[in-house]
Amino acid sequence: MTLHVIFTVGEVEYALPVASVFQMETFSGATAVPGSPAYVLGIVTVRGRVIPVVDLRRRFGLPAVPTTLDTRIIVTDIDGRVVGLCVDRARDVIDLDPAQRQPAPALVNERSAGLVGGMHARGSRLLLLLDLAKVLTEHAHDHEPLALPSDQAHPRPALPG
Amino acid sequence: MTGAGGGRTVLSMSSILVVDDSKVMRDMIVACLRAVPGATFVHATTGLEAIERLSLAPFDLMVLDLNMPDVGGIEVLEFVRAQDRLRSLPVLIVTTRGDDESKERVLRAGATAFLAKPFQPEAIIAEVRALLPPTAEARA
Amino acid sequence: MTAQTDLKEFLTAYLVEAEEHVSVANAKLLVLEAAQRNGRHDPKALREIFRALHTIKGLSAMVGVEPIVGIAHRMEAFVRGYDRSGTAPPLASTDVLLKGVQAIAQRIAALGRGEAAQPASLSLLGELDALDPTGAELVERAGPELDLAPELLDKLVPFEIEQLVRSIAGGMRGVVAEFFPSPERAAAGFSINSVRERLSAFTEIVRVLPRSVPVSPQSPGGLAFVLVLLTDAPDAQIAAAVGVEPELLRAIHTARVSPAPGVPSLDAQAPLDHEAEDALSAGVRRGIVRVDVARLDQAMEGLATLIVTRFRLARAVADLAARGVNTRELAEVVTDNARQLRDLRAAIVRVRMVPVSDLLDRVPLLVRGLQRVTNRLVRVEVEGGDAEFDKAVSERLFPVIVHLVRNAVDHAIETPDERTRRGKPEEGLLRIACRAHSNTRLELVVSDDGRGIDREGVARKAGRPVPEGDAGLLELLCIPGLSTREVATTTSGRGMGMEIVKRIVVDELGGELQVATELGAGTTFTLRVPLTISIVDAFAFECGGQRFVVPVSTVDEIVEVDRSDMVQVPAKRDGGPELDVLLRRGQAVPVVALARIFHMTGTPGAAQKAIIVRRAGAPIAFAVDRMLGQQEVVIRPMNDVLVRAPGISGATDLGDGKPTLVLDLVALGTTLDAGNSNARALP
Repeated sequence: MTLHVIFTVGEVEYALPVASVFQMETFSGATAVPGSPAYVLGIVTVRGRVIPVVDLRRRFGLPAVPTTLDTRIIVTDIDGRVVGLCVDRARDVIDLDPAQRQPAPALVNERSAGLVGGMHARGSRLLLLLDLAKVLTEHAHDHEPLALPSDQAHPRPALPG
Repeated sequence: MTGAGGGRTVLSMSSILVVDDSKVMRDMIVACLRAVPGATFVHATTGLEAIERLSLAPFDLMVLDLNMPDVGGIEVLEFVRAQDRLRSLPVLIVTTRGDDESKERVLRAGATAFLAKPFQPEAIIAEVRALLPPTAEARA
Repeated sequence: MTAQTDLKEFLTAYLVEAEEHVSVANAKLLVLEAAQRNGRHDPKALREIFRALHTIKGLSAMVGVEPIVGIAHRMEAFVRGYDRSGTAPPLASTDVLLKGVQAIAQRIAALGRGEAAQPASLSLLGELDALDPTGAELVERAGPELDLAPELLDKLVPFEIEQLVRSIAGGMRGVVAEFFPSPERAAAGFSINSVRERLSAFTEIVRVLPRSVPVSPQSPGGLAFVLVLLTDAPDAQIAAAVGVEPELLRAIHTARVSPAPGVPSLDAQAPLDHEAEDALSAGVRRGIVRVDVARLDQAMEGLATLIVTRFRLARAVADLAARGVNTRELAEVVTDNARQLRDLRAAIVRVRMVPVSDLLDRVPLLVRGLQRVTNRLVRVEVEGGDAEFDKAVSERLFPVIVHLVRNAVDHAIETPDERTRRGKPEEGLLRIACRAHSNTRLELVVSDDGRGIDREGVARKAGRPVPEGDAGLLELLCIPGLSTREVATTTSGRGMGMEIVKRIVVDELGGELQVATELGAGTTFTLRVPLTISIVDAFAFECGGQRFVVPVSTVDEIVEVDRSDMVQVPAKRDGGPELDVLLRRGQAVPVVALARIFHMTGTPGAAQKAIIVRRAGAPIAFAVDRMLGQQEVVIRPMNDVLVRAPGISGATDLGDGKPTLVLDLVALGTTLDAGNSNARALP
């Protein structure tokens, strides 16, 4: 049995092993980083370290919503990379049995499809397990290019989604 | 040292000179020997410094490494034993396996006891306790 | 009773010491080999090698690292015989010994990473076991004569006597000084260690012998140290170092000098070779404290927090003043505090500084290994000077130097035959020089006299047009993935290596990289790197409603801009927009609106200032809203790929707890040039 942090993005609940979680913070704004992918909200300072914050709603293709008191940054550590995940809510910590893990359901949102590694069923709750490494993998084309001065004469079309 | 009259000494301090050019080694030795009640430590990084310190202050014991750059442990030992004042100073020689000097040579040069690296903390504590004058604690 | 002592706690301290001994062993093995090639033997170097190995063995045994003990023991056993007899081991053994030291170094590094030390490979052990110590025989020599007191002469070993005779014959002076330790002298700074340290800075100490003397007020300890010295310094200087009157020094003379059989060729220059070595050991003895870099980082973190707190304090005081409170005294305290923090920061920064020569001294060993493998002959000239830089910079530069050196030896420098055919000396020359570039930057130049870079060849492999200037060539060389074996033979470097060099020097360290090359003649790489990478002076400014900072060292000038100052210039390319430029001292400087480039939606049209930076000599101006002042900032790295973006070199905290981006406008300028040519200004 391993402890997991349960958090919500949109209407879906996800589970993350406590071992990957550095700490949790309330969200009070991030400094935007021009040239970074659209789903990166920006950077915040946590315990003296500057870390990027990924907007999981945006990453999963969901429409943006205003920040609430429940909004949290989950600071995760995978293989030395420390990254913050911005989620709608993160409250419970529960024990999950690795043996009970099942493959991800097919109904999962298309955008987040490649990012989910499995799931747990707890009573009526479905808890999805994120493949953090995939979530945090950056692709060169994700980065918003800087607006080159020449573009100002011929603006580029807006990026999809 | 026992007090005169009413006061009874509960613990006497021992002054130990630790001689080794490796700071790590000296620190390890001191860490082991802190278990000996009343032990206080003075460091010397070279054989010459050891000789200098011995000439200027009294010590209850010297822990001496054989392998040192300028004046080796044997030379220090021989010089020390040639002094009347220091003839009976307990000296524990610490050697590394394969040191030139055999145990016999070391003891003949005047070492009181001999310990080869690597040694466990218990081993050096036992040697040092045996070499120090019994503390008042043990006497009482 | 205290808890059980666990010697494993000493692992980190052990690693630091063991690494030093490995360094010494490497350096002395090279010295020994160089002497052997010249037909001389260097017993002092051999003795140091022996001692280093012996110490490594003992320490490794204590902390329980068996694999290192095994390697060190075999090497030490071999060296011991030769040390005892004062003879030179066979030249061929040096290679094996160097391999053994390398094997020990690797295991130390592994332990440092938290991994286990692997048992030594059977082939290495076999080679070490095959080292044959039987050549070491004690050779009886007829001693030449010195007029020293018999009891002193008895104590000197043959090598020392020979050294004295040779050097005195060669013109140096032999001097005997006596030092009497006492509590008063110790209090005045004269102990045997401090006396030796002072002396070794300018004179050769052949031997120090302790001597019993009667107890007297002059010698309360009944002890005297007899110092046998070889020097060309005046008596007054020696006497001052020892703390005695010059009249008390005695000179040593030689009687007839009769060279004994079996003594290696006499040359009087031998003692002077040791000056550098003594300086090395003097450094070690000079009250140097070894510090774990992690502790220094912690100290810096603490300092950074103090600096941030000071900003907040200053702001609070300013707020009070704005409300009419008399804050004069408070403001003075805050100012004093600022100065004290600056001093403290300078002190900590100094602690983290390491000499550049530490880095560069590893190059000869590297080249030596490469020569063998690549069949080249290379002479190395290293000029480090006294420069120092932050340990963090030094660590990042090491792989860079390795790449550049490897490329030079492996690809740039031709084989001896080819060089002869081209009329060049057989031995190629690799030169590394370091000098201060400004008071915040260091310049490192790596140059070779090899075949130079074939621009056309590189351009062909890259499928790009032939670059015009050196800057263009450098860009080509740094293209990721350009590496192909063919490219490696036409260029002086594999593409892979250069990409990493650029990434470290330019992206990570915020420095500059330049190349200059001449086909057939050679190539020179110039690196400019900051001395420290943590705290810098920066200008804070506002742009598009957001705050940013830019390091002062990269800024050429800050100017006011007004639309009336701008001139529109027709663009170079057809169909492109016109360029806005600023006329500054007769030069046209292109102006770029930072807010636009960063897609910022803040208040448009407010730009009133422009920050001018220089990229490869050409200035470019970034228009921003307003300047907020100059201050010291701590740059925190932002290494994650998600936030790696051109022009952003890190983040800092201006006192509000939120990170503020640190911009590298020079790099941003480069991106703009690369991405394309026209600049547009404000609406």
